[in-house]
Amino acid sequence: MMNAYFITEKDFKNFVSAMVQSLTVIGPVAKRKKFVFAKLESAEDLRLDYDVTLLPPKKEFFPPSQDMVRFEKDKYEGCISPQEKILLGVHFYDIKAIDMTDRLFREKNEDWNYLANREAATIIGSNIQTISERAFWGTVGKDVPPKGHDGFITKINGGYVYETRGDKGEALVKFGSFAKATDAQVKEARAVNENVMGKCPEKLNRSSKEIAEKVRKAFSKEAFWEALAEDCFSCGSCNIVCPTCYCFDVQDNWNLDQVSGARTRYWDACLTEDFAKVSLGGGATENFREERAERFRHRIMRKASYLNEKLGGPACVGCGRCSAACTSDIADPVNVINKIMEA
Amino acid sequence: MHCNCSYSDKNIFLPKETEILKVEQPTELEKHFTLKMKDGATMAFAPGQILEVSLFGYGEIPIGFASSPTRKDSFDIVVRSVGRVSKAINKLEKGQSVFVRGPLGSGFDLDKLRGHDVLIIAGGIGLCPTRSLIQYIMDRRSEFKKFTLFYGAKDPSQQLFLSDLANWRKSNDVDYYETVDKGDEKWTGNVGVITTLFKKTQISPDTRAVICGPPVMFKFVIAELDKVGIPRSNVYVDLERRMKCGVGKCGHCQINDKYVCVDGPVFSYADIEHLEEAL
Amino acid sequence: MAKAKVAFFDFTCCEGCQIEMTNFGDAAFLELLNHVEIVEFREVMSEKTKEPIDIALVEGSFTREADRKRLEEIRNRAKIVIAYGACAATGGVNALKNHMTDYKEDVYGKDAGMPHLDSQKALPISAAIKVDYCVYGCPMDKYELLRILSHLLHDKEPVIPNYPVCVECKRNGTICRYQEGDHCIGQVARAGCGAPCPADGIPCEACRGFVDKPNEKALKKVLIEKAKFSEKRAESKSRIFSANLRSDAQ
Repeated sequence: MMNAYFITEKDFKNFVSAMVQSLTVIGPVAKRKKFVFAKLESAEDLRLDYDVTLLPPKKEFFPPSQDMVRFEKDKYEGCISPQEKILLGVHFYDIKAIDMTDRLFREKNEDWNYLANREAATIIGSNIQTISERAFWGTVGKDVPPKGHDGFITKINGGYVYETRGDKGEALVKFGSFAKATDAQVKEARAVNENVMGKCPEKLNRSSKEIAEKVRKAFSKEAFWEALAEDCFSCGSCNIVCPTCYCFDVQDNWNLDQVSGARTRYWDACLTEDFAKVSLGGGATENFREERAERFRHRIMRKASYLNEKLGGPACVGCGRCSAACTSDIADPVNVINKIMEA
Repeated sequence: MHCNCSYSDKNIFLPKETEILKVEQPTELEKHFTLKMKDGATMAFAPGQILEVSLFGYGEIPIGFASSPTRKDSFDIVVRSVGRVSKAINKLEKGQSVFVRGPLGSGFDLDKLRGHDVLIIAGGIGLCPTRSLIQYIMDRRSEFKKFTLFYGAKDPSQQLFLSDLANWRKSNDVDYYETVDKGDEKWTGNVGVITTLFKKTQISPDTRAVICGPPVMFKFVIAELDKVGIPRSNVYVDLERRMKCGVGKCGHCQINDKYVCVDGPVFSYADIEHLEEAL
Repeated sequence: MAKAKVAFFDFTCCEGCQIEMTNFGDAAFLELLNHVEIVEFREVMSEKTKEPIDIALVEGSFTREADRKRLEEIRNRAKIVIAYGACAATGGVNALKNHMTDYKEDVYGKDAGMPHLDSQKALPISAAIKVDYCVYGCPMDKYELLRILSHLLHDKEPVIPNYPVCVECKRNGTICRYQEGDHCIGQVARAGCGAPCPADGIPCEACRGFVDKPNEKALKKVLIEKAKFSEKRAESKSRIFSANLRSDAQ
């Protein structure tokens, strides 16, 4: 069921208020001069004019730390307990990323620790009103359409067009004074979303397919990667803020009573030194990606090439979070990829 | 403990309880456990597959099966004390519980080995996962042609499965050759790296070869197999990586674009020789 | 599980980590007492013992040869020795003096020559005795200490991160200090504290020391280019808590 509705600016506020009163609504809110996805306490909190959030919305389904098994002596149980929530105001690049993590957590072995949270969520996108400084979503993975969301809001003159994509999105219509959108309004919304695509400050110049092939072939250019990674701190910031990174570590801990506890997963980062290290016994270890250049390369390979077959395009959506998070400013995929493509 | 969710049977991280039927200690660092599912179920697996073995509070580790699925009443694992979890498991005694998830990953494709000569080259603790295959072949000996086993250990005190070794030395079912990197006063056998065993016998180019051992061993062994003329598509490698989740999610065991825990740990060498991170 | 005998000792330090221990002030500390027996703890009790102990928690850095004997006695009595707090674990802020020679008059004025003020370089206690584990930080994080004790009570080697504070800031959704025009050295600092300082708008000073392989060169570069530090300030920045861990440690 796909329908297009229109709501005036004033009624939109009431719509958000009504939802906030009866549902858990997560949306972009200001954190000093930046933005984060957080629970809305009132409609005024919602900042659809945000550029990009510090962390992508993946945290709502795949939290930074998540108990997977809880135990008490010899008894144990899983702890999947999804809570229904609305994610409101997700930009299209993050919608693409959510669709990717959906597929990756579903493939081969379905991970319901993620999927249950995901299924309990309603995702409503919104158009990009402000473009972040490091964005390149206009030119990355153009063949991969945003999908998997339940509705999309676009700001046009005098109000918003709300396009629903199925029952979950349709179920929210009752919270606001919506009218059927006119063809002109739908057309205007489409133009808004199309026009923004050419406005990113950073651009990739080649197709995803060309990039995937050439980046993969650049694997053995050791000196190239070493030079790029010279200022890398192995801090993993680029991984942790990435909407398509989903690696995790698992740790067991006891509670204070020392008999109960939990097996918990935590966001991990393949750039960190110990990520691929194993103990061999007698104090010996083997680190399968010991050099920071190898780890730096692995991330670029994963973003530009390794997952393309599975995902139909690159595992990068051009949000620019990694570029902004890297204090050495070496993480920017545009910089790395364009260098490879120009070589 | 109370959980009102309906997802318990869907949680791929929820382990199952096993009881320790028997514990042996073959070397200073290793313990050999025989386990049985607490719920009475049979562990149905292929040689080469892995288990995530855990103790609550300590964590989980990936371990290959060390027995053959043809022996249905129980299954074996060998745990080398190298880290937090293995050290804790190796303190357990008969009758106690360990928790397992599995079988996981992809093991040896037995149909590709059946009807052919088979050569297994096992270095160090690499004998544990291959023991599953060795037992399988010995249990169904007529299904395979000439069966050769090379086993290398650091020194005689590091040899595993001593009673197996004694049987294999005498057995007509397997051409068994062994070596140690460094001998001791009692050792009268071959001394040298595992590739020195290739001089001891004739291997046919039509052999299916299986390699499992420390990372450093693979390249040298593959060079020998190339010399014999065995096509790389007939060479199988059992690889070790940091398989943390065992279900292809957590990312730690990746070799380029492959997840060792689901795409492997057993790979046809032809499928991975183009992967720069493989060997 | 028999209660583990735990004792606290202090050397050159402010005893702030012992104070931090007593700051639990809630069920956590009392719950801990169900599992350990504290046999010596100067900040909170007057008893002293000479008996064997299971876990010795040593605070403060090793700055006088005269302390070696006491440290060795502790080592001989204890099954496990934990250096807790930055001073004991890395030398901490005390090690700031290690690259200087002219501080004494500045600090002590006319008393500078008094014999009790004589000290050598400030070193971690591992310079004198074998240390099994470290609880990093200034002060140490009491919850991390609880976790480490919990692991030791179960004979499990404690998990101590070897990734930088950035990982924790990012997990927390904290705004990077650099994105607010500030500086920070969390990129080289060992995590495990949960990164509370940047969350409060304060740069990380690496009070937990460095990760195993800190990129010092890149740090200097970033401090100069992004935080607009002078070369000299950028060069000395990480000395505050990590002088002994730097590649130029004396």
